[in-house]
Amino acid sequence: MVSHTDPVILALRALGENAGTAEDAGHAEICPHCRSELARLAGIVELARGEGVAERLETPPAQVWDRIAAAAGASQSPAVPDGNGAPAPATRGARKRRGSRERWPRGRLATGLAGLAAGLIIGIGGAVGVAQLTTAPAARVVAQIELLPPPASPQFQDATGTAVMRATAGQQLMIVTLHAPRAPGFYEVWLLARDGVSMISLGDLNADQTGTFIIPPGTDLRNYSRIDISLQPFNGSTQHSKTSVVRGSLPVAALGAVTPH
Amino acid sequence: MDGVSDEEVAGAFGDGHPDALALVYERFGPLIYSIALRSLGTRPDAEDVTQQVFVSAWRRRGSFDRHRGTLGGWLVTITRNKVTDTLRERQRHSRVLQVAGGAAVTASEAPSDRLVDRIVLADELAQLPESQRLVMVLAFYSDLTHEQVARVLGLPLGTVKSHIRRGLQRLRSRLEADGVAY
Repeated sequence: MVSHTDPVILALRALGENAGTAEDAGHAEICPHCRSELARLAGIVELARGEGVAERLETPPAQVWDRIAAAAGASQSPAVPDGNGAPAPATRGARKRRGSRERWPRGRLATGLAGLAAGLIIGIGGAVGVAQLTTAPAARVVAQIELLPPPASPQFQDATGTAVMRATAGQQLMIVTLHAPRAPGFYEVWLLARDGVSMISLGDLNADQTGTFIIPPGTDLRNYSRIDISLQPFNGSTQHSKTSVVRGSLPVAALGAVTPH
Repeated sequence: MDGVSDEEVAGAFGDGHPDALALVYERFGPLIYSIALRSLGTRPDAEDVTQQVFVSAWRRRGSFDRHRGTLGGWLVTITRNKVTDTLRERQRHSRVLQVAGGAAVTASEAPSDRLVDRIVLADELAQLPESQRLVMVLAFYSDLTHEQVARVLGLPLGTVKSHIRRGLQRLRSRLEADGVAY
């Protein structure tokens, strides 16, 4: 009676984790069934990871359905939200640039998490959707902040944003949404210190102007309490462009419960 | 799209149910549009192809046999053909321009199988229940181990393991049914 490798261990190994015992690993190499399972799953992982992020699904604009319905003689409207137009062409350039600045070893994580946010915050009122997220009861919302354009940026007077901070055991997530006009460049999220000089880059917003970031462990949020989203030109510089689109402050009272590591 | 499985959508479509086209468009519109957009690069062309795919699929629905393949796979095939047609049309057009003005022509490429597969994968990821989708996204695109994913999301370790195993299997089944190269 052959006992095959536990499917969970195969799945984790396909993801690159060193799961299971040496015996599991050895079996997965010599057993044709387990070897082929592992190869198929690893193929999925490789396909998904390919270019480091998931492909983005885009909803076609509403007029496409109107044209289809007219041509096909259908009338029933699909319950599809209206495609909200063209995303900012920010991500690609930002991604190319990323290799050159490794301020945070978590850069790759931020990239993936930014992709995650595209689906995490579906539709409008992203912050509401996030607050209702039921998957992580332990990841409680610590703060929810409205982001508004600073007086020095009249060109962004119509921009708005939200930042939701969630805390889980040992991790703090910042989920950011922005509503701002498309502009050449890309949007980057920062934590600014009270001295107005020190800052931490959390990463770039996704093309749909959302992003989820892990706050580097040990960050003193009572000092780095201001959130700032900048418009960054594609010039390879890792510095803040000094063009702030929106800003907001974390309520220090809410942070009392969050002790830095 | 809650509560309506791909099989049910395909069933309604095959039966020519009056609402079926709207249902099919709701389920597969983003997949088809995204493949067209990434292959063709321009929104007007992607919109045209999306329109052509659904109109053509509706008119030819009698030839769709859901016992021989999935509706998603059938639509992806139509999309690839329409994309190829559009690229050929572009090439013909640019040859005419070249003859007229001597402008350089850049050869168009057919949609890459791998790109199509990656978009199909993204489409299936998007169908996963939210909790499982987050687990899979973190497992794929963060450097977190499954234990760390469990901590970040506040989920029991067993749930994360089960989400990962079933999630990978589901992606695999979808790619085997609707994918091109996988």
